[in-house]
Amino acid sequence: MLLITRQGITIAVAGDTSYLNTTAMAALVAGMFSATKEVARIVGEPQFSILLQQGEKKHIHISLVGEQTMLVVIFEDQNRIGMIRLYARRVAGALVQSMAASTEIEQVSGELLLPKFREYALALIDRIFQA
Amino acid sequence: MPYLSYSNREITLKVAYCGPAMSGKTTNLSYVHRALRPEVKGELFTLNTDQERTLFFDFFPVEMGQAQGYQLRFNLYTVPGQKNYEANSRLVLEGVDGIVFVADSQPERLGDNIESYRIVQNNLVSFDVDINSLPAVLQYNKRDCKDPLPVGTLEKELGLNKIPVFEAVAVKGTGVMETIRRVTQIVIERFQI
Repeated sequence: MLLITRQGITIAVAGDTSYLNTTAMAALVAGMFSATKEVARIVGEPQFSILLQQGEKKHIHISLVGEQTMLVVIFEDQNRIGMIRLYARRVAGALVQSMAASTEIEQVSGELLLPKFREYALALIDRIFQA
Repeated sequence: MPYLSYSNREITLKVAYCGPAMSGKTTNLSYVHRALRPEVKGELFTLNTDQERTLFFDFFPVEMGQAQGYQLRFNLYTVPGQKNYEANSRLVLEGVDGIVFVADSQPERLGDNIESYRIVQNNLVSFDVDINSLPAVLQYNKRDCKDPLPVGTLEKELGLNKIPVFEAVAVKGTGVMETIRRVTQIVIERFQI
């Protein structure tokens, strides 16, 4: 399972994701979800809250968690889709509450010294993006 | 919009290459990807049509390293330039922290460059983002073409004051790393929580 932002960033993972490129997957799934949101708008729906991708052995269930996050569940037994949907809905509710209480940005703000951060970051840029 | 995670100790920033079709956005991104050391770059994904035109986006992440205890990452994207993929282009621009506008220096492409910039501007407005407040650089690509547009042409047409400008021949890598370095520098210089 992955929890990703609409901007395509992985917030959290659960289960065995060692075989996945989670960074790429988050970006691609976010793109996919953004595209389907536009398709929904074109057909007159506010959005499609669930996406289901069916493979031969593995399937993906993607559901919205609040407005800015998506839960991606990768599963193998297609007969379990009903259970996946049920648990995804329950988890989504709990996650929305949990994230509403989050003070991540405040914590980062309290910890990060911006001038120092910028200094280090600019040095990294000079080193990595060399001509 | 920067992604900040206290629990994961991550800061992720998004930079997108935009511009008219065939101006060299994917060429830029591909060159940057080849130029970087393996340990700092993720796989380059390209979502293309059968004719190798960008359909949705190209993407790869750059792991910059640690800054003040936070892992800094830049996610680099290209935006499709073809007009019939404008809806896709808009989606990719959501949440962008910096843009590289890749202009085609061929004189007959002046109109396409201007139109493309206006589309990017309007797409950003749909996310309540003023392009003039966004970290941005302008790249005049294809400087090896016949009678390239003089530098300053687009700045004058579009009212771009003080935007950093780079001349490039992206297929050869000329000007490519300088461009990405400058736009990421501006993103960091203006970074706020």
